Amino acid sequence: MSSKSDAKQEREIKIVGFLCNWCSYGGADTAGVCRFRQPTDLRIIRIPCTGRIDPLMIVKSLIQGADGVLVSGCHPNDCHYAVGNFYARRRMEVLKRFLPYMGFQSDRFRYTWVSASEGQIWQQVVTDFSETIHRLGPNPGLHQTVDSAPAVSWF
Amino acid sequence: MDDKTNALREHVKGIFSNLELVLGWEPGYDPLHTRPFYVRTESDIDRLTANCLSFQNLTRYLAKSMNAVDPAADGRKIGVCVKGCDSRSLVALIQEKFVSRDRVYVIGLPCRGTLDARRIRALVPDPARIRSVNAEGDELVVETDRGISRFALDRAIARKCLQCRYPNPVIHDVLIGDPVTPRLKIDAENPSVAAVEALSLEDRLLFWENQLDRCIRCFACRNACPLCVCQNHCIMETRMPKWITQYRNMNEKFMFHMIHALHLAGRCTECGECERVCPVGIPVALIKEKINAIIYEMLDYESGIDPEAVPPLLTFSPKETGI
Ligand code: SF4
Ligand code: SF4
Ligand code: FES
Repeated sequence: MSSKSDAKQEREIKIVGFLCNWCSYGGADTAGVCRFRQPTDLRIIRIPCTGRIDPLMIVKSLIQGADGVLVSGCHPNDCHYAVGNFYARRRMEVLKRFLPYMGFQSDRFRYTWVSASEGQIWQQVVTDFSETIHRLGPNPGLHQTVDSAPAVSWF
Repeated sequence: MDDKTNALREHVKGIFSNLELVLGWEPGYDPLHTRPFYVRTESDIDRLTANCLSFQNLTRYLAKSMNAVDPAADGRKIGVCVKGCDSRSLVALIQEKFVSRDRVYVIGLPCRGTLDARRIRALVPDPARIRSVNAEGDELVVETDRGISRFALDRAIARKCLQCRYPNPVIHDVLIGDPVTPRLKIDAENPSVAAVEALSLEDRLLFWENQLDRCIRCFACRNACPLCVCQNHCIMETRMPKWITQYRNMNEKFMFHMIHALHLAGRCTECGECERVCPVGIPVALIKEKINAIIYEMLDYESGIDPEAVPPLLTFSPKETGI
């Protein structure tokens, strides 16, 4: 979004991570046990399955100022509940394509699939996403007042 | 819609004995309005109207105010008048099992557009003097106490009608009048969505903030929507879970509209009722139209067309990749 003051640049980046209990949460754990270096920006919320993801949880996080939102679950076909991630995949993809229409940077949201044994892959995913968010800088949030706005005429 | 009042009354008279009631329209409090009307007795039939002012989507009442799922003991049906867009809402309600097809008698009305009161006021500066308005062919004929003026119909009808792809009811038991030619092809780009997308990302945010800042959260848009069926469970009002608060700031307003839009993802049929009823003129349906465009592109699905289809976000396909 728009202007970033220096004070805002300096504040700590916070990324919300919604991780499926059965895979990616385990993957993050594996990465920890193996002592892979990981960025510290991620705040993990454990969910039972990505089927639990309501796209509004992602939207709400972004509106309330989260700098990034990462959702990670079991690989397609490996969901503990068989199909939760199939539902989630459609819903998250619709959201991802919708966000820029409303003026949100869709790069602040990513979804991915990482299994419990893929500690190394988890490290890459989270490092890469964290770098993306650092490049974007802090989420400036919504303007609380609008002085002038572009007009759009449809017909 | 051209005036179909007489043909509609004639038809309803012929079949009324088989019906419990008919949902239709009657003249409103001024020549610019009609209002929803329940025809309950034979003598009510002569109050029915169907013309370019029949804007309300009556299928809303089927889902929210009456039991349209179980058959009546005496087997009589509920008659409902639908324009093209309304018929798609009806199909969506049938898909989601809020209405059963056997319960309703669908009176289809091919339609070339309903008027937008805001646009009329721009054409006729002194609406108090209006005696009647009528669509005739491509013209709108406005009779005021100073005389008769004619305008191009396109200057007076609603935004959704100017980009209508389904002017003819997609389901009906009877059709009153001849089918009309759609204004847009089914796979045509939505011109209003394209206009928003032409802005830069920053400008889009400002555009929406500026629009949504006016929202007073009266919930008229939600209440008018035939597919906002949650009633007392709507998360706009529950405190458990507490998705939005009573605070009157941009975050809450934005969140409200994201909830409304995402709850209709893959379901909204673009009847435009949300936008018509908004007291502060927010293009509410325009948010949902983009989601519809995404779903059409991604999953080749349009809501409210096939009564047997499952709404796309309530199902999945294991095979789809690359999304
Ligand atoms: S969201 Fe608006 S356009 Fe869509 S079905 Fe509801 S009332 Fe109609
Ligand atoms: S009808 Fe308009 S003002 Fe009322 S809640 Fe909907 S968008 Fe807001
Ligand atoms: S259990 Fe992990 S995504 Fe369903």
